Amino acid sequence: MGEFLNYTVNGALIGLTYALVAMGFVVIYRASKVFNLAQGELVVLGGFIVWLMMIQLDLPLIIGLPIAFLCAGIFGFLIDRIFFSRMAGQSVFAMVMVTIGLMILLRGVVLVAFGAQVRQFPAVFPVFPVIWGDFLIPQAMLYGGVITVCVALGLAWFFNRTRAGLRMTAVAEDHQVAMSLGISVRRSVIIAWIMGSMLATLGAIIFLSNRSISFITSEIGLLALPVALLAGLESIAGLILAGILIGIVQGLAAGYLDPALGASVSSVLPFVIMLMILFIRPTGMFGWKTIERV
Amino acid sequence: MLTLNNVEVMYSDVILAVKGITLTVNKGQCVTLVGGNGAGKSTTLKAISNVIGPEDGRVTSGTILFGDRRIDNREPSQIVAAGIVHVMEGRKVLRHLTVDQNLLVGGHMERSGREVRRRLESMYELIPRLAQLKTRTAGYLSGGEQQLLVIGRAMMANPELIMIDEPSLGLAPLAIEEVFNLLSHLKQNGITLLLVEQNSSAALSIADYGYVMENGRIVLEGTSDELRNNEDVREFYLGLNVEGERKSYREIKHYKRRKRWLG
Repeated sequence: MGEFLNYTVNGALIGLTYALVAMGFVVIYRASKVFNLAQGELVVLGGFIVWLMMIQLDLPLIIGLPIAFLCAGIFGFLIDRIFFSRMAGQSVFAMVMVTIGLMILLRGVVLVAFGAQVRQFPAVFPVFPVIWGDFLIPQAMLYGGVITVCVALGLAWFFNRTRAGLRMTAVAEDHQVAMSLGISVRRSVIIAWIMGSMLATLGAIIFLSNRSISFITSEIGLLALPVALLAGLESIAGLILAGILIGIVQGLAAGYLDPALGASVSSVLPFVIMLMILFIRPTGMFGWKTIERV
Repeated sequence: MLTLNNVEVMYSDVILAVKGITLTVNKGQCVTLVGGNGAGKSTTLKAISNVIGPEDGRVTSGTILFGDRRIDNREPSQIVAAGIVHVMEGRKVLRHLTVDQNLLVGGHMERSGREVRRRLESMYELIPRLAQLKTRTAGYLSGGEQQLLVIGRAMMANPELIMIDEPSLGLAPLAIEEVFNLLSHLKQNGITLLLVEQNSSAALSIADYGYVMENGRIVLEGTSDELRNNEDVREFYLGLNVEGERKSYREIKHYKRRKRWLG
């Protein structure tokens, strides 16, 4: 029983990290309708900036992290200005092709700037795990889970309650209507890219704390994909539930199915669940359904 | 207040949808643009509010003045800030937001939260039906309620001029009456209206002045009384014969007479 609960709790916490990375997908998609396939590369880029600040430049946490977030925001701004501001009004296919190009470009930039070596990521959170009875939980995951829930609640409040957030939600609904109300779609999309990049950096800090980082770490973007699609591409709060669900399934599969079958079922299962739910609900569990009066 | 001088609007640098129209909307007036499908009425409104960018359209010639300021091809946010709000065709509510949130989005340019709340309260007093639906998701409202909501949302911006595109489209007669009662009330309270409507009878009933558009051109203009009494308008837009009776379907189908403005 203790083993089962350990797999479940640790799985749920890892799932929350996926949810945090998936928030980057969702925030960018809501404003710009761009499904950013390069989100994993943004995580790596953010991670390497943190590594640069804290390991290479040896800056203290309190200075290194704000600078890393600032740099991530600037990268998000530049990505929008250079690639996507010119693509307004283009087809979804064209946008997806640009994100694939961006993915390859960012991977190249990381390889050129930081090399292909595996680097030790700084321990942003305490290293020793928390032990409560039978539970053994890495502190980074615990802090990460709490931060993810807080960020999700904060974003849900921002998008539904604040003036700037409601503007971005209006943009998410319909660009032309938002424009007719005097909302700057361009500004909303820029803010979304800045937020998406910063969320990627936060995801990197939580996911990589005291682990290693290399250009292959971008696979976390792929792991976050089922969470984003399962929750629905417009729902911030839904990501929490989807993240926990995917994380628990993956955790239990890694604990029981992988050793029994001698295969990595746990890495495939999230995508199987995602496909099954998308067959039943194409908009995901909490995505916006098309409301059409007939 | 609003003046269009010889304005041309083109889509994709190929399709000339509005061919040099000139019109004036005076302060406190209700001016209507009537005409059939594809006449260029909605394009004219989109050109004024400059929301034709996503449709690859732009004003290619002429000037649009609001007061003394040129507003052609300005950012839509600057146009709303100047005091013009465009209520688009098709009851474009923000479908997944509540009625309350829709109205708050309408007042997003106002920095004072207190002022926004004051406008919200006065909006609920003006349109009590919306007050009962505050927490309802806008996409699930009836057509009439959605139309009231988009007009209310436009009012939240505290505009001097509201441009309304086809407010009666697809609504039941009672809902149309409710919407036009609201528009009359706004007009009485000093809001200037530019109304695009295919339901010419309803439009001319509240308008002071009207323009008839066909194929991107203004072909006739006059006070609403003049237009109501114009033989061509009666026949082609109000569906009345010379004696003022409703034309039969057979008459409409087999009419031979050309409109006078076509020479």
